[in-house]
Amino acid sequence: MRALSFVRWLRAGRVPPRGPESRHSGDSGHSGHRHSGDSGHRVYSEYRYSEYRPQDPPQQKVSVEVLDHLEHLALVDFRDSEGVERLQKAIQFADQLHEVNTDGVEPMDSVLEDRCLYLREDDVTEGNCTKELLENAREKVEEYFVAPPGNIPLPKLEERETFLQGSK
Amino acid sequence: NYLRISPFSSFLFSLAPWIPVVGLEIHAQISSNSKLFSGSQVQFAAPPNSLVSFFDASLPGTLPVLNRRCVEAAVMTGLALNCSINKKSLFDRKHYFYADLPAGYQITQQRVPIAVNGSLSYSLCIDNKMSQMVTKTVRIKQIQLEQDSGKSLHDDTRCQTLVDLNRAGVGLMEVVMEPDMCCGEEAAAAVRELQLILQTLGSSQAVMAEGQLRVDANVSVHHPGEPYGVRTEVKNINSIRFLAKAVDYEIQRQIEELENGGTILNETRAFDSKLGCTVPMRDKEGKQDYRFMPEPNLPPLILYDTKSLPANVNHQQVINIDWIQERLPDLPSVKREKLVEQYGILPEHSFTLLNEDGLAEFFESVVKQTQMKPKKVIGWILNDLLSYLKQHSLTVKERSV
Repeated sequence: MRALSFVRWLRAGRVPPRGPESRHSGDSGHSGHRHSGDSGHRVYSEYRYSEYRPQDPPQQKVSVEVLDHLEHLALVDFRDSEGVERLQKAIQFADQLHEVNTDGVEPMDSVLEDRCLYLREDDVTEGNCTKELLENAREKVEEYFVAPPGNIPLPKLEERETFLQGSK
Repeated sequence: NYLRISPFSSFLFSLAPWIPVVGLEIHAQISSNSKLFSGSQVQFAAPPNSLVSFFDASLPGTLPVLNRRCVEAAVMTGLALNCSINKKSLFDRKHYFYADLPAGYQITQQRVPIAVNGSLSYSLCIDNKMSQMVTKTVRIKQIQLEQDSGKSLHDDTRCQTLVDLNRAGVGLMEVVMEPDMCCGEEAAAAVRELQLILQTLGSSQAVMAEGQLRVDANVSVHHPGEPYGVRTEVKNINSIRFLAKAVDYEIQRQIEELENGGTILNETRAFDSKLGCTVPMRDKEGKQDYRFMPEPNLPPLILYDTKSLPANVNHQQVINIDWIQERLPDLPSVKREKLVEQYGILPEHSFTLLNEDGLAEFFESVVKQTQMKPKKVIGWILNDLLSYLKQHSLTVKERSV
Protein backbone atom coordinates (compact mmCIF):
# COMPACT_ATOMS: atom_id res chain seq x y z
CA MET A 1 0.00 0.00 0.00
CA ARG A 2 2.81 2.31 0.91
CA ALA A 3 4.68 1.69 -2.36
CA LEU A 4 1.57 2.44 -4.34
CA SER A 5 0.89 5.69 -2.55
CA PHE A 6 4.50 6.71 -3.13
CA VAL A 7 4.10 6.21 -6.86
CA ARG A 8 0.92 8.25 -6.82
CA TRP A 9 2.86 10.96 -4.99
CA LEU A 10 5.55 11.04 -7.64
CA ARG A 11 3.00 11.55 -10.34
CA ALA A 12 0.94 14.14 -8.54
CA GLY A 13 3.86 15.96 -6.93
CA ARG A 14 1.97 16.05 -3.66
CA VAL A 15 2.95 15.14 -0.15
CA PRO A 16 2.10 11.52 0.61
CA PRO A 17 -0.68 10.97 3.12
CA ARG A 18 0.66 10.89 6.67
CA GLY A 19 -0.83 9.62 9.82
CA PRO A 20 -2.59 12.19 11.97
CA GLU A 21 -0.59 14.11 14.57
CA SER A 22 -2.51 12.30 17.21
CA ARG A 23 -0.29 9.29 16.62
CA HIS A 24 1.63 10.64 19.54
CA SER A 25 -0.93 9.09 21.82
CA GLY A 26 -0.40 7.16 24.97
CA ASP A 27 -0.34 3.75 23.27
CA SER A 28 2.54 1.82 24.63
CA GLY A 29 3.74 -1.68 24.21
CA HIS A 30 1.86 -2.70 21.12
CA SER A 31 1.48 -1.61 17.57
CA GLY A 32 -2.19 -1.55 18.09
CA HIS A 33 -5.05 -0.75 15.78
CA ARG A 34 -6.74 2.55 15.68
CA HIS A 35 -10.37 2.60 16.50
CA SER A 36 -13.08 5.11 16.00
CA GLY A 37 -12.44 8.25 14.06
CA ASP A 38 -9.50 6.91 12.09
CA SER A 39 -11.00 4.68 9.48
CA GLY A 40 -9.18 6.56 6.77
CA HIS A 41 -5.77 5.90 8.35
CA ARG A 42 -6.11 2.33 9.50
CA VAL A 43 -3.79 1.09 6.79
CA TYR A 44 -0.85 2.79 8.56
CA SER A 45 -1.48 1.31 11.98
CA GLU A 46 0.68 -1.74 11.26
CA TYR A 47 3.66 0.48 10.71
CA ARG A 48 3.57 2.26 14.03
CA TYR A 49 6.30 1.53 16.53
CA SER A 50 4.74 2.86 19.65
CA GLU A 51 7.67 2.35 21.98
CA TYR A 52 9.95 4.66 20.04
CA ARG A 53 8.58 8.10 19.32
CA PRO A 54 11.11 10.70 18.26
CA GLN A 55 10.14 14.28 17.64
CA ASP A 56 9.12 15.08 14.11
CA PRO A 57 12.31 16.28 12.41
CA PRO A 58 12.44 20.07 12.06
CA GLN A 59 11.38 21.41 8.69
CA GLN A 60 14.78 22.10 7.16
CA LYS A 61 15.05 24.12 4.04
CA VAL A 62 17.70 22.94 1.63
CA SER A 63 20.23 25.76 1.32
CA VAL A 64 21.17 27.34 -1.97
CA GLU A 65 24.75 26.18 -1.44
CA VAL A 66 23.62 22.56 -1.27
CA LEU A 67 21.41 22.97 -4.33
CA ASP A 68 24.29 24.53 -6.24
CA HIS A 69 26.57 21.69 -5.10
CA LEU A 70 24.01 19.13 -6.28
CA GLU A 71 23.72 20.81 -9.66
CA HIS A 72 27.50 20.58 -10.07
CA LEU A 73 27.78 17.01 -8.88
CA ALA A 74 24.91 15.35 -10.63
CA LEU A 75 24.44 17.85 -13.46
CA VAL A 76 20.75 18.16 -12.67
CA ASP A 77 18.89 21.38 -13.21
CA PHE A 78 16.37 22.34 -10.58
CA ARG A 79 15.01 24.81 -13.07
CA ASP A 80 12.36 26.46 -10.90
CA SER A 81 10.93 26.62 -7.42
CA GLU A 82 8.66 23.65 -8.04
CA GLY A 83 11.68 21.46 -8.65
CA VAL A 84 13.21 22.59 -5.38
CA GLU A 85 9.92 22.06 -3.56
CA ARG A 86 9.76 18.55 -4.87
CA LEU A 87 13.24 17.90 -3.52
CA GLN A 88 12.23 19.29 -0.12
CA LYS A 89 9.19 17.05 -0.02
CA ALA A 90 11.24 14.04 -1.06
CA ILE A 91 13.59 14.68 1.84
CA GLN A 92 10.67 15.07 4.22
CA PHE A 93 9.20 11.83 2.97
CA ALA A 94 12.47 10.00 3.47
CA ASP A 95 12.87 11.50 6.94
CA GLN A 96 10.00 9.31 8.08
CA LEU A 97 12.60 6.56 8.24
CA HIS A 98 13.86 8.20 11.44
CA GLU A 99 10.73 6.92 13.15
CA VAL A 100 12.02 3.37 12.99
CA ASN A 101 14.24 2.18 15.80
CA THR A 102 17.25 0.56 14.15
CA ASP A 103 19.43 0.08 17.25
CA GLY A 104 21.57 -3.01 16.78
CA VAL A 105 20.30 -3.68 13.27
CA GLU A 106 22.86 -4.06 10.47
CA PRO A 107 22.05 -1.79 7.52
CA MET A 108 21.11 -3.64 4.37
CA ASP A 109 22.45 -2.20 1.17
CA SER A 110 21.30 -4.80 -1.31
CA VAL A 111 18.56 -7.40 -1.57
CA LEU A 112 21.31 -9.60 -2.99
CA GLU A 113 23.14 -9.82 0.32
CA ASP A 114 22.34 -13.48 0.83
CA ARG A 115 23.07 -14.47 -2.74
CA CYS A 116 26.36 -16.01 -3.75
CA LEU A 117 28.58 -13.76 -5.78
CA TYR A 118 29.10 -15.65 -9.02
CA LEU A 119 32.78 -16.07 -9.99
CA ARG A 120 33.55 -16.13 -13.69
CA GLU A 121 36.43 -18.12 -15.20
CA ASP A 122 39.24 -15.96 -16.60
CA ASP A 123 38.44 -16.58 -20.30
CA VAL A 124 38.22 -14.05 -23.09
CA THR A 125 34.63 -14.19 -24.31
CA GLU A 126 33.83 -10.62 -25.37
CA GLY A 127 35.23 -7.67 -27.26
CA ASN A 128 36.07 -7.21 -30.93
CA CYS A 129 32.97 -5.17 -31.63
CA THR A 130 34.56 -1.82 -32.38
CA LYS A 131 32.21 -1.07 -35.25
CA GLU A 132 29.10 -1.71 -33.21
CA LEU A 133 30.32 0.40 -30.32
CA LEU A 134 31.19 3.34 -32.52
CA GLU A 135 27.83 3.25 -34.27
CA ASN A 136 26.25 5.35 -31.56
CA ALA A 137 29.08 7.86 -31.32
CA ARG A 138 28.25 11.29 -32.65
CA GLU A 139 31.86 11.97 -33.48
CA LYS A 140 34.72 9.59 -34.03
CA VAL A 141 38.29 9.83 -35.23
CA GLU A 142 39.90 6.63 -36.51
CA GLU A 143 38.03 4.33 -34.11
CA TYR A 144 38.49 6.61 -31.11
CA PHE A 145 35.56 8.25 -29.39
CA VAL A 146 35.79 12.02 -29.44
CA ALA A 147 35.24 14.03 -26.28
CA PRO A 148 35.78 17.67 -25.29
CA PRO A 149 39.28 18.53 -24.02
CA GLY A 150 38.92 17.68 -20.35
CA ASN A 151 35.99 18.36 -18.08
CA ILE A 152 34.16 21.59 -18.58
CA PRO A 153 32.96 22.40 -15.08
CA LEU A 154 29.57 23.96 -14.62
CA PRO A 155 30.15 27.72 -14.25
CA LYS A 156 29.93 29.15 -10.74
CA LEU A 157 26.52 30.09 -9.43
CA GLU A 158 27.06 33.80 -10.13
CA GLU A 159 27.81 33.08 -13.74
CA ARG A 160 25.01 30.63 -14.43
CA GLU A 161 21.59 31.44 -15.68
CA THR A 162 19.69 29.64 -13.01
CA PHE A 163 16.78 30.69 -10.89
CA LEU A 164 18.81 29.59 -7.88
CA GLN A 165 20.61 32.92 -8.11
CA GLY A 166 17.49 34.80 -7.19
CA SER A 167 16.92 32.80 -4.06
CA LYS A 168 20.28 33.81 -2.54
CA ASN B 1 48.57 34.61 1.85
CA TYR B 2 52.12 35.24 2.97
CA LEU B 3 52.85 35.44 6.66
CA ARG B 4 54.97 38.32 7.74
CA ILE B 5 57.91 36.85 9.60
CA SER B 6 60.71 39.01 10.87
CA PRO B 7 64.16 38.09 9.59
CA PHE B 8 65.21 36.98 13.07
CA SER B 9 62.34 34.56 13.64
CA SER B 10 62.58 33.22 10.12
CA PHE B 11 66.22 32.50 10.86
CA LEU B 12 65.18 30.54 13.94
CA PHE B 13 62.35 28.91 11.99
CA SER B 14 64.71 27.54 9.39
CA LEU B 15 67.03 26.11 12.03
CA ALA B 16 64.33 23.71 13.28
CA PRO B 17 64.60 20.37 11.52
CA TRP B 18 61.91 19.32 9.08
CA ILE B 19 60.40 15.85 9.10
CA PRO B 20 59.19 14.85 5.66
CA VAL B 21 56.32 12.39 5.55
CA VAL B 22 55.70 10.26 2.47
CA GLY B 23 52.77 7.92 1.82
CA LEU B 24 52.08 6.03 -1.39
CA GLU B 25 49.02 4.89 -3.31
CA ILE B 26 49.99 2.25 -5.83
CA HIS B 27 47.78 0.87 -8.58
CA ALA B 28 48.93 -2.47 -9.96
CA GLN B 29 47.22 -3.89 -13.03
CA ILE B 30 46.21 -7.48 -12.40
CA SER B 31 47.80 -9.98 -14.74
CA SER B 32 44.76 -11.79 -16.14
CA ASN B 33 43.36 -12.81 -19.52
CA SER B 34 40.12 -10.92 -19.15
CA LYS B 35 38.88 -7.89 -17.26
CA LEU B 36 37.64 -7.57 -13.70
CA PHE B 37 33.93 -7.57 -14.45
CA SER B 38 33.70 -8.57 -18.11
CA GLY B 39 35.06 -11.06 -20.60
CA SER B 40 36.97 -8.70 -22.86
CA GLN B 41 40.69 -9.21 -23.23
CA VAL B 42 43.44 -7.51 -21.28
CA GLN B 43 46.24 -6.54 -23.62
CA PHE B 44 48.63 -3.63 -24.02
CA ALA B 45 48.69 -1.81 -27.36
CA ALA B 46 45.77 -3.19 -29.34
CA PRO B 47 43.70 -1.35 -31.97
CA PRO B 48 41.61 1.31 -30.21
CA ASN B 49 38.30 0.12 -28.78
CA SER B 50 38.82 -3.45 -29.98
CA LEU B 51 39.03 -4.96 -26.49
CA VAL B 52 35.81 -3.44 -25.23
CA SER B 53 32.65 -5.28 -24.26
CA PHE B 54 29.21 -3.71 -23.96
CA PHE B 55 29.65 -3.60 -20.19
CA ASP B 56 33.00 -1.79 -20.48
CA ALA B 57 31.31 0.78 -22.71
CA SER B 58 28.60 1.12 -20.06
CA LEU B 59 25.77 0.32 -22.43
CA PRO B 60 22.42 -0.01 -20.63
CA GLY B 61 21.34 -3.49 -19.59
CA THR B 62 24.83 -4.79 -18.83
CA LEU B 63 25.95 -6.09 -15.45
CA PRO B 64 29.31 -6.76 -13.77
CA VAL B 65 30.42 -10.40 -13.40
CA LEU B 66 33.43 -10.88 -11.12
CA ASN B 67 36.54 -12.58 -12.52
CA ARG B 68 37.79 -15.32 -10.20
CA ARG B 69 41.42 -14.91 -11.23
CA CYS B 70 41.40 -11.26 -10.14
CA VAL B 71 40.20 -12.20 -6.68
CA GLU B 72 42.92 -14.85 -6.40
CA ALA B 73 45.55 -12.31 -7.45
CA ALA B 74 44.40 -9.90 -4.73
CA VAL B 75 44.38 -12.63 -2.08
CA MET B 76 47.89 -13.77 -3.08
CA THR B 77 49.16 -10.22 -2.89
CA GLY B 78 47.48 -9.64 0.46
CA LEU B 79 49.01 -12.80 1.91
CA ALA B 80 52.46 -11.91 0.56
CA LEU B 81 52.18 -8.52 2.26
CA ASN B 82 51.18 -10.06 5.61
CA CYS B 83 47.67 -8.66 5.44
CA SER B 84 44.52 -9.92 7.09
CA ILE B 85 42.25 -11.13 4.34
CA ASN B 86 38.67 -9.99 4.86
CA LYS B 87 36.48 -13.02 4.45
CA LYS B 88 33.65 -10.69 3.55
CA SER B 89 34.42 -7.65 1.42
CA LEU B 90 32.10 -5.27 -0.39
CA PHE B 91 32.00 -3.38 -3.67
CA ASP B 92 31.10 0.30 -3.97
CA ARG B 93 30.61 2.93 -6.64
CA LYS B 94 32.83 6.01 -6.73
CA HIS B 95 31.18 8.69 -8.86
CA TYR B 96 32.94 11.31 -10.96
CA PHE B 97 32.63 12.58 -14.50
CA TYR B 98 35.38 12.02 -17.05
CA ALA B 99 35.33 11.01 -20.70
CA ASP B 100 37.32 7.82 -20.08
CA LEU B 101 34.86 6.63 -17.42
CA PRO B 102 31.75 5.89 -19.47
CA ALA B 103 29.60 4.72 -16.54
CA GLY B 104 30.26 7.92 -14.58
CA TYR B 105 31.43 5.80 -11.67
CA GLN B 106 34.20 3.34 -10.87
CA ILE B 107 33.46 0.08 -9.06
CA THR B 108 35.89 -0.10 -6.15
CA GLN B 109 36.05 -1.30 -2.53
CA GLN B 110 35.82 1.73 -0.33
CA ARG B 111 34.05 0.41 2.79
CA VAL B 112 35.46 -3.06 3.29
CA PRO B 113 38.42 -3.93 1.02
CA ILE B 114 39.68 -7.44 0.42
CA ALA B 115 42.85 -7.13 2.56
CA VAL B 116 43.99 -4.84 5.39
CA ASN B 117 46.80 -4.20 7.86
CA GLY B 118 49.86 -5.65 6.25
CA SER B 119 53.53 -4.74 6.04
CA LEU B 120 56.30 -4.59 3.49
CA SER B 121 59.98 -4.85 4.38
CA TYR B 122 62.55 -3.30 2.09
CA SER B 123 66.25 -2.56 2.27
CA LEU B 124 68.34 0.52 1.70
CA CYS B 125 72.06 1.02 1.32
CA ILE B 126 73.42 3.36 3.93
CA ASP B 127 76.32 4.39 1.75
CA ASN B 128 76.94 4.48 -1.97
CA LYS B 129 79.10 1.41 -2.07
CA MET B 130 76.27 -0.93 -1.11
CA SER B 131 78.30 -2.35 1.70
CA GLN B 132 75.85 -1.63 4.48
CA MET B 133 72.19 -2.33 4.17
CA VAL B 134 69.44 -1.44 6.56
CA THR B 135 65.97 -2.98 6.61
CA LYS B 136 62.89 -0.80 6.92
CA THR B 137 59.21 -1.56 7.08
CA VAL B 138 56.22 0.26 5.73
CA ARG B 139 52.71 -0.58 6.87
CA ILE B 140 50.15 -1.54 4.26
CA LYS B 141 46.84 0.04 5.10
CA GLN B 142 44.77 -1.96 2.65
CA ILE B 143 44.51 -3.62 -0.73
CA GLN B 144 41.34 -3.16 -2.75
CA LEU B 145 40.04 -4.43 -6.06
CA GLU B 146 38.89 -1.79 -8.52
CA GLN B 147 38.34 -1.05 -12.20
CA ASP B 148 40.80 0.79 -14.37
CA SER B 149 39.53 3.65 -16.55
CA GLY B 150 39.98 4.04 -20.28
CA LYS B 151 42.70 6.15 -21.85
CA SER B 152 42.40 9.76 -22.95
CA LEU B 153 44.62 11.11 -25.69
CA HIS B 154 44.64 14.87 -25.66
CA ASP B 155 44.61 16.48 -29.06
CA ASP B 156 45.28 20.09 -28.21
CA THR B 157 45.51 21.24 -31.82
CA ARG B 158 41.94 20.25 -32.51
CA CYS B 159 40.80 21.01 -28.97
CA GLN B 160 39.45 17.54 -28.34
CA THR B 161 40.17 14.34 -26.47
CA LEU B 162 40.28 10.93 -28.12
CA VAL B 163 39.04 8.11 -25.91
CA ASP B 164 40.15 4.49 -26.10
CA LEU B 165 38.27 2.15 -23.76
CA ASN B 166 40.55 -0.88 -24.16
CA ARG B 167 41.84 -0.31 -20.64
CA ALA B 168 38.43 0.45 -19.16
CA GLY B 169 37.45 -2.26 -16.71
CA VAL B 170 40.85 -3.93 -16.42
CA GLY B 171 41.33 -5.20 -12.85
CA LEU B 172 43.52 -3.17 -10.52
CA MET B 173 44.84 -3.80 -7.02
CA GLU B 174 45.22 -0.55 -5.16
CA VAL B 175 47.87 -0.92 -2.48
CA VAL B 176 47.77 1.86 0.08
CA MET B 177 50.97 2.40 2.06
CA GLU B 178 50.86 4.35 5.30
CA PRO B 179 53.01 7.50 5.49
CA ASP B 180 55.93 5.67 7.08
CA MET B 181 58.55 6.82 4.60
CA CYS B 182 60.60 9.97 4.79
CA CYS B 183 62.38 10.49 1.49
CA GLY B 184 62.54 9.61 -2.19
CA GLU B 185 65.04 6.81 -1.66
CA GLU B 186 62.77 5.01 0.80
CA ALA B 187 59.75 5.40 -1.44
CA ALA B 188 61.68 4.06 -4.42
CA ALA B 189 63.07 1.09 -2.47
CA ALA B 190 59.62 0.20 -1.13
CA VAL B 191 58.05 0.34 -4.58
CA ARG B 192 60.91 -1.67 -6.09
CA GLU B 193 60.40 -4.41 -3.50
CA LEU B 194 56.64 -4.39 -4.10
CA GLN B 195 57.30 -4.67 -7.82
CA LEU B 196 59.55 -7.70 -7.29
CA ILE B 197 56.95 -9.33 -5.04
CA LEU B 198 54.16 -8.80 -7.57
CA GLN B 199 56.30 -10.19 -10.36
CA THR B 200 57.28 -13.21 -8.27
CA LEU B 201 53.64 -13.92 -7.42
CA GLY B 202 52.58 -13.30 -11.01
CA SER B 203 49.62 -11.26 -9.75
CA SER B 204 50.88 -8.29 -11.77
CA GLN B 205 53.68 -7.86 -14.27
CA ALA B 206 54.16 -4.44 -12.66
CA VAL B 207 55.99 -2.83 -15.59
CA MET B 208 55.80 0.90 -14.90
CA ALA B 209 56.60 1.83 -18.47
CA GLU B 210 53.47 0.04 -19.68
CA GLY B 211 51.31 1.58 -17.01
CA GLN B 212 50.93 -1.71 -15.14
CA LEU B 213 52.25 -0.08 -11.99
CA ARG B 214 51.25 3.50 -11.19
CA VAL B 215 52.39 5.35 -8.12
CA ASP B 216 50.95 8.49 -6.52
CA ALA B 217 52.93 10.02 -3.67
CA ASN B 218 51.45 12.00 -0.77
CA VAL B 219 54.06 14.36 0.65
CA SER B 220 54.08 16.74 3.60
CA VAL B 221 56.60 18.20 6.04
CA HIS B 222 56.37 19.26 9.66
CA HIS B 223 58.55 20.16 12.63
CA PRO B 224 59.13 17.51 15.28
CA GLY B 225 56.43 17.56 17.93
CA GLU B 226 54.00 19.42 15.69
CA PRO B 227 51.05 17.95 13.82
CA TYR B 228 51.51 16.73 10.24
CA GLY B 229 51.64 19.47 7.65
CA VAL B 230 49.32 19.95 4.68
CA ARG B 231 50.00 17.25 2.13
CA THR B 232 50.15 17.42 -1.64
CA GLU B 233 49.51 14.55 -3.99
CA VAL B 234 52.08 14.00 -6.73
CA LYS B 235 51.02 12.15 -9.88
CA ASN B 236 52.39 11.34 -13.33
CA ILE B 237 55.45 9.46 -12.04
CA ASN B 238 56.57 7.06 -14.73
CA SER B 239 59.54 5.23 -13.27
CA ILE B 240 61.07 4.31 -9.93
CA ARG B 241 63.93 6.69 -10.53
CA PHE B 242 61.48 9.54 -11.18
CA LEU B 243 59.56 8.57 -8.06
CA ALA B 244 62.62 9.29 -5.91
CA LYS B 245 63.25 12.56 -7.76
CA ALA B 246 59.64 13.68 -7.55
CA VAL B 247 59.36 12.98 -3.83
CA ASP B 248 62.65 14.67 -3.00
CA TYR B 249 61.81 17.68 -5.15
CA GLU B 250 58.40 18.07 -3.52
CA ILE B 251 59.88 17.79 -0.01
CA GLN B 252 62.41 20.47 -0.87
CA ARG B 253 59.79 22.68 -2.50
CA GLN B 254 57.56 22.49 0.56
CA ILE B 255 60.41 23.26 2.95
CA GLU B 256 61.49 26.26 0.91
CA GLU B 257 57.94 27.50 0.59
CA LEU B 258 57.35 27.25 4.33
CA GLU B 259 60.70 28.76 5.25
CA ASN B 260 59.90 31.73 3.05
CA GLY B 261 56.70 32.27 4.97
CA GLY B 262 54.39 30.71 2.41
CA THR B 263 51.77 28.01 2.86
CA ILE B 264 51.27 24.62 1.25
CA LEU B 265 48.00 24.07 -0.61
CA ASN B 266 46.27 20.71 -0.39
CA GLU B 267 46.52 20.17 -4.13
CA THR B 268 47.42 17.64 -6.76
CA ARG B 269 50.69 18.22 -8.57
CA ALA B 270 52.16 16.52 -11.60
CA PHE B 271 55.80 15.55 -11.89
CA ASP B 272 57.46 17.01 -14.97
CA SER B 273 60.29 14.60 -15.73
CA LYS B 274 61.93 16.93 -18.24
CA LEU B 275 62.19 19.80 -15.81
CA GLY B 276 62.61 17.56 -12.77
CA CYS B 277 59.99 19.44 -10.77
CA THR B 278 56.37 19.24 -9.70
CA VAL B 279 53.76 21.59 -11.13
CA PRO B 280 50.17 22.15 -10.07
CA MET B 281 47.79 20.03 -12.12
CA ARG B 282 45.01 21.73 -14.03
CA ASP B 283 42.45 22.34 -11.29
CA LYS B 284 39.51 20.21 -12.32
CA GLU B 285 36.59 20.94 -10.07
CA GLY B 286 37.96 21.74 -6.69
CA LYS B 287 37.42 19.16 -3.99
CA GLN B 288 35.65 16.12 -5.36
CA ASP B 289 32.60 14.59 -3.75
CA TYR B 290 32.61 11.00 -4.90
CA ARG B 291 29.19 10.14 -3.45
CA PHE B 292 30.20 6.60 -2.53
CA MET B 293 27.35 4.12 -2.53
CA PRO B 294 27.20 0.32 -2.36
CA GLU B 295 27.33 -1.38 -5.77
CA PRO B 296 23.79 -2.72 -5.94
CA ASN B 297 24.55 -5.33 -8.60
CA LEU B 298 27.15 -7.26 -6.61
CA PRO B 299 26.55 -9.23 -3.43
CA PRO B 300 29.36 -9.33 -0.83
CA LEU B 301 32.49 -11.24 -1.81
CA ILE B 302 32.85 -14.19 0.56
CA LEU B 303 36.18 -16.00 0.89
CA TYR B 304 36.78 -19.21 2.80
CA ASP B 305 39.56 -21.05 4.52
CA THR B 306 39.88 -24.76 5.10
CA LYS B 307 37.90 -24.55 8.32
CA SER B 308 35.00 -22.58 6.97
CA LEU B 309 34.81 -24.22 3.56
CA PRO B 310 31.27 -25.54 3.11
CA ALA B 311 30.90 -29.20 2.18
CA ASN B 312 29.49 -30.32 -1.17
CA VAL B 313 30.44 -27.11 -2.86
CA ASN B 314 31.30 -26.32 -6.47
CA HIS B 315 35.05 -25.73 -6.25
CA GLN B 316 35.00 -23.31 -9.10
CA GLN B 317 32.69 -21.05 -7.12
CA VAL B 318 34.71 -20.83 -3.91
CA ILE B 319 38.09 -19.40 -3.05
CA ASN B 320 40.07 -21.01 -0.23
CA ILE B 321 42.59 -18.64 1.32
CA ASP B 322 44.60 -21.49 2.88
CA TRP B 323 44.90 -23.23 -0.48
CA ILE B 324 46.36 -20.06 -1.96
CA GLN B 325 48.68 -19.55 1.01
CA GLU B 326 50.12 -23.05 0.63
CA ARG B 327 50.91 -22.40 -3.01
CA LEU B 328 52.64 -19.05 -2.64
CA PRO B 329 56.10 -19.08 -4.24
CA ASP B 330 59.24 -18.01 -2.37
CA LEU B 331 59.15 -14.24 -2.01
CA PRO B 332 62.24 -12.19 -2.96
CA SER B 333 63.37 -11.84 0.66
CA VAL B 334 63.27 -15.62 1.09
CA LYS B 335 65.08 -16.18 -2.19
CA ARG B 336 67.84 -13.81 -1.11
CA GLU B 337 68.29 -15.59 2.20
CA LYS B 338 68.53 -18.92 0.42
CA LEU B 339 71.17 -17.60 -1.98
CA VAL B 340 73.26 -16.24 0.88
CA GLU B 341 72.94 -19.47 2.80
CA GLN B 342 73.52 -21.80 -0.08
CA TYR B 343 76.36 -20.01 -1.81
CA GLY B 344 77.91 -17.96 0.96
CA ILE B 345 77.61 -14.71 -0.96
CA LEU B 346 77.14 -11.31 0.65
CA PRO B 347 73.59 -10.04 1.32
CA GLU B 348 74.21 -7.01 -0.91
CA HIS B 349 75.03 -9.33 -3.78
CA SER B 350 71.83 -11.27 -3.28
CA PHE B 351 70.03 -7.97 -3.89
CA THR B 352 71.92 -7.44 -7.11
CA LEU B 353 71.09 -10.95 -8.28
CA LEU B 354 67.39 -10.45 -7.73
CA ASN B 355 67.39 -6.98 -9.17
CA GLU B 356 67.80 -8.17 -12.74
CA ASP B 357 65.24 -10.51 -14.20
CA GLY B 358 66.79 -13.94 -14.67
CA LEU B 359 70.16 -13.04 -13.14
CA ALA B 360 69.78 -15.25 -10.09
CA GLU B 361 68.91 -18.26 -12.24
CA PHE B 362 71.83 -17.47 -14.52
CA PHE B 363 74.18 -17.25 -11.53
CA GLU B 364 73.03 -20.60 -10.20
CA SER B 365 73.41 -22.32 -13.54
CA VAL B 366 76.94 -20.89 -14.01
CA VAL B 367 77.98 -22.13 -10.57
CA LYS B 368 76.52 -25.52 -11.30
CA GLN B 369 78.05 -25.93 -14.74
CA THR B 370 81.48 -24.45 -14.15
CA GLN B 371 81.90 -25.56 -10.56
CA MET B 372 83.55 -22.19 -9.93
CA LYS B 373 83.48 -20.67 -6.47
CA PRO B 374 80.23 -18.71 -6.09
CA LYS B 375 82.09 -15.63 -4.89
CA LYS B 376 84.20 -15.62 -7.99
CA VAL B 377 81.13 -15.92 -10.19
CA ILE B 378 79.62 -12.98 -8.36
CA GLY B 379 82.78 -11.01 -8.97
CA TRP B 380 82.63 -11.75 -12.67
CA ILE B 381 78.96 -10.88 -12.84
CA LEU B 382 79.43 -7.58 -11.03
CA ASN B 383 82.57 -6.50 -12.81
CA ASP B 384 82.18 -7.82 -16.31
CA LEU B 385 78.77 -9.18 -17.14
CA LEU B 386 76.55 -6.38 -15.91
CA SER B 387 78.58 -3.63 -17.54
CA TYR B 388 78.71 -5.62 -20.77
CA LEU B 389 74.95 -5.99 -20.78
CA LYS B 390 74.48 -2.31 -20.07
CA GLN B 391 76.84 -1.28 -22.85
CA HIS B 392 74.94 -3.34 -25.34
CA SER B 393 71.55 -2.58 -23.82
CA LEU B 394 70.76 -6.24 -23.31
CA THR B 395 68.93 -8.01 -20.55
CA VAL B 396 70.20 -11.19 -18.95
CA LYS B 397 67.47 -13.18 -20.63
CA GLU B 398 68.35 -11.85 -24.05
CA ARG B 399 72.01 -12.71 -23.76
CA SER B 400 72.66 -16.29 -24.68
CA VAL B 401 75.36 -17.87 -22.60
